[in-house]
Formats: sequence, C-alpha cells, structure tokens
Amino acid sequence: MSASQLYAAVVNALPDPILVVVGFDRDDLTGRRYILANAAARELLRITAEEGMLLSAVRDPDVLAAVDKALFDELDAESIYETTGAQSRSLRVRVRSLGIGQDGAHLALVTFHDETEVRRVERTRVDFLANASHELRTPLASLSGFIETLRGHARNDVAARDKFLGIMQTQADRMARLIADLTSLSRIELDEHVPPRGTVDLVLLVGEAVEAAAPLAAQRGVKLECRPFAPGTVHVRGERDQIIQVVQNLLDNAIKYSPDGAGVRIELQSGLSELAAAASPENLPRLSLAAPDPSPETYAALRVIDLGPGIARQNLPRLSERFYRVDGQKSGARSGTGLGLAIVKHIMNRHRGGLVVASAEGEGSTFTVYFPMAGAPEGVVKAS
Amino acid sequence: MNEHIIKSYEDELNSLAAECVRMGGLTEAQVADAVTAVVKRNQDLASAVVGRDDRLDAAERDIERKTIRLIALRQPVADDLRRAVAAMKVANNLERCGDLAKNIAKRALVIIESDPLTPLTRSIERMGKLVLGRLSTVLDAYSHSDLERALAVWSQDDEVDEHYNSLFRELLTYMIGDPRTITACAHMLFVAKNLERIGDHATNIAEIIHYQITGDEMVAGRPKTDELRD
Repeated sequence: MSASQLYAAVVNALPDPILVVVGFDRDDLTGRRYILANAAARELLRITAEEGMLLSAVRDPDVLAAVDKALFDELDAESIYETTGAQSRSLRVRVRSLGIGQDGAHLALVTFHDETEVRRVERTRVDFLANASHELRTPLASLSGFIETLRGHARNDVAARDKFLGIMQTQADRMARLIADLTSLSRIELDEHVPPRGTVDLVLLVGEAVEAAAPLAAQRGVKLECRPFAPGTVHVRGERDQIIQVVQNLLDNAIKYSPDGAGVRIELQSGLSELAAAASPENLPRLSLAAPDPSPETYAALRVIDLGPGIARQNLPRLSERFYRVDGQKSGARSGTGLGLAIVKHIMNRHRGGLVVASAEGEGSTFTVYFPMAGAPEGVVKAS
Repeated sequence: MNEHIIKSYEDELNSLAAECVRMGGLTEAQVADAVTAVVKRNQDLASAVVGRDDRLDAAERDIERKTIRLIALRQPVADDLRRAVAAMKVANNLERCGDLAKNIAKRALVIIESDPLTPLTRSIERMGKLVLGRLSTVLDAYSHSDLERALAVWSQDDEVDEHYNSLFRELLTYMIGDPRTITACAHMLFVAKNLERIGDHATNIAEIIHYQITGDEMVAGRPKTDELRD
C-alpha cells in the first residue's frame, strides 16, 4: 500500500464524518462542491457519491454560512448540525480553511463530531428534577391538607382523626419509598460503569427473595411458584444487594398486577447463550429494555411470569422510563413509585446483563433478566 | 439527459434548483427553530425566527425572477421547462412554509407569557419532529431527483393528520378542565394547525417532484383522515 493509498484509507475509516469542500466564487452556488466524503460522512448525510454538489449533501443555513466563512474569509468557523428522523443526532461542525489550491479553488475541511449523548444527558437531568419534584409534591400537598383539617374543624372528631392519620401514614410511607428509590437509583447510576465484584448463588438468592415477598403475596392471595429449580447452585457475577433488589422489584410488580388468587411463576435457567437467555417462551410481543454488548458469555436467566392485565405494545418502550406508569396506575391500590423498572434496568446494565419484557393486553407479562455466569464460558446452549 | 450545447444554460437550470435547495435549508431551520421556541419557551429564538422571514421572501422573489428570465430567454421545452416551473413552484411552497413558521414563532411569544403546559408542548414537539422529517425527506428527494422518496412522503400524509387530530382532542380536554389555559391552548391549536399545513406543503412539493420527473400530474386521491365531525 502506497503512502497516499494509506492516507485515503485512514481518512475513509475515521469514525467522525469528514468533508473536503471547494468553492470558486461566493456567488456561485453550484460551484461549491465536496470533493471528499469519508464513509461516516456519506452515512450521516445520506449521500452515495464521494463527490458532488455541496447543497445536495448539506443545506443547513448555519453550516453553509460556516463553510462560506472558511472558504472565502479563510477563518475557522463552528456550527451545530442536527439530523431529523427517528434517531435525531446533534453534531458539532468545525470548518477549517485549507487555503487555495492550484486551480484557484478555495478549499476547506469540514468535520462533524457527535454530541448527541452529551445533550441527551443534560436533558434527562432537567426532566428528572422536574419529575421528581412533581412526584414529591402530590403526597406533600395531601399531608399538609390533612394537617390543616386536623388543626381546624376536625380537631375533636375522633373518627375523622383516625381516618386522616391513616391516610397521612400512607402518604408519608409513599414519600419515604420515593426518596429511598431515588437515592438508590442515583447511587446505582454513579456506579454504572464500575463492574460489580463478587459472585452470587442465584438459586439461594431467589429463594430468599421469594420468602421475603411471601407476606405481600399472601396478603394479595397470590401464589408464588418456583419451577423448575434444579438442585445445586447457579453462580453469577454480581453484587448481592443489587441482585436482590432486581428480584424483589420484579416480584413486587408481578404480585401487584396479578389478579387475586392467581399464580406468579418464577423460572431459573442457566448455561444459556445470550440469544437463548433473551428469548421469550411465548409468542407475545417482546422488547429488550437493556442488553449487554455481544460477548461469548454464558448467562443465567430468571423469568417472572404473571397473569395480570398485560401491557399494550405501544407502552412497552416506555416501561423503564422514570416515573412512567401505564394509564390509570397513578393512584389506587397498585400505586408504586414508578422507579422500580428503571432501577432494574440500571442494575442490569451495570452487571452486563439484560432485561426483556414480553407482554400483550390480557395475556399477562413475562419479565426476564439474565446475568453473565461466573467462571469460564463453557457449554453454551444454542438457541434454535 | 442530453448535455446542453450552451453550457451556461445547463448551469442556469442547475443553479435554479440549487437555490431552491438552499431556500429549503433555510425553511427547515425556520420551522425547527419556531417549534423549539414553543417547546423551550425561548423568546430570543422566537424573535429571531420572525426577523429572518425576510430572507425567505427575498429568496422566493429571486428564484421567481430568475425562472421567468430563463423561460423568456431560453424558451425551454419538455424536461427543462418542467424543471424551471418546478423550481418556481417549490420556492412558492417553501415561502408559505416560512410564513407558517413565522406565525408559530409569533404565537410562541404569546404562549411564553402564560404558565407552561408541559404535556402539550411534548405533543407539539413530537408533531414538529414528524413534520420536519417529512419536509426534510421531500427536500432530499428534490435535491436528488428521487421519485421514490417523494412518493413515500406523499403517501404518508395521514400520519400528520392523526397527530393533529389527537392534539386537537388533548387541547379540548385542557380548555374544558381549566379555562385559564384557554389563551395559551388556542394559540397552541394554531401552532398545531400551522404544523399540519407545513406537512401539506411538503406533500405539495412531493407532487411537484413527481410532475418534474414524470411529466404527469398525480391523479389518485391523497390518503386523508378527516375527523372534524366526531
């Protein structure tokens, strides 16, 4: 490979989109052309040719103005370029003058740098603060309302006082739950890029979680069935407390949404490939809410299957969104904090595992989480 | 396509199309900024959109003047005539889109004065994204003379209508629930209507592209869901 071929290959392979633009005259619109577009630029700007009219690749007025500034004033310029479509991206555009070529053409280099992530993080934080304060305001408003009533005309009404104190207790509990969830979510997020240490026996752990959830299940008349639990151990890499939280949140949800007297099935399988672990047993619409990067790991999968009302397809993508609850769930016996699945998702991300939901209205729901197993990957079971 | 004997004739036609594309870019930016001004409650951005509308008007006049000049001097026929006429019509539609964007920005200035209506602005944002996507696809189709992409835009007109209808209902619920929101909601309704009309202009441009490339008018009726009477 000659030096110039190598340069060409390097430019083409650069992950950031790059364009080289020429222009002859400020008034000549069609004369502004791109004479080099690397693979990333062709993908970003949806062009097929390696050269062509600049306007056929970019028509954002700010970017065009930046290009003109670099071409004809030989000044560095910057701009923001946003793509439209389902996954809109936001890129910082930098234009540098490359001087004047032999034929008198002005040359400029245009580079794009993806800043979508940064902007999204900013936005999520703003949304999160707004949501969290909104969620706390509701129980707080009800608390202060009842306090006012108790200090006022209900002061000596024993029956009303007992009733109000009961409601106040519920609201205070709700606030406490919300704050606990918020704290644990922010801690999990902080550690999301720190791989968990330690190994955990899932069989033992799930057994404990089921026992812990038994009182709630009994209260709702829901039967918890574990099957088929092979005797022995299933060791996965992970942090015990967090995995317990995952199992508890999934069990809580399943119990909460099960009709009275129905069963919740808990299945544990080990030695699976990622494909087999993420597969759903039934032919329900399924969606992966978290998935590990492809790797040759073997996984242990835990499925929690309920016979509740199920979730409509259009609501599936929003399930792990913070404070999202399917319509009509904001109040009543089934009210939760709206953070449970967000917590599960973040823990699974940290554990390099996955979270899959399969559900349809009236068909119940299956939530699957899978963890990479401890020890060397061996005996991978292929999904058919 | 045959090369024209006089090179500058071809150049003139090409630069006419190029100017339309550049005007398209301006229009996209105006629409995007107008929607952002509503969503982010950004007063400066709204004023900027209102101020920039002149540039679109000037661009339209310029394209019209150049087209008329080209038709008068070169007397184009067939393909070339259609390209010239299409450029003028596209510019026309884009100018209308610009006016609608300016109107959205003016309403944003009023909406900003009342309390935020977050769920509604979310819906406006979604609809804005959809409409902008269509405008952008149709302009891609125009700049690459891509009939298929133009037809894709043309056949998906009902999606915008559905968004508009659901926003309409959402707004009614708000206004019934709290009469204090009526001013802001009424303006939001026009914002949504303007977005819907920008979507219609995108469909018009798709039809113009079809005419420019094939020489035929589109005859089949557009898919349309009209739920005004429900």
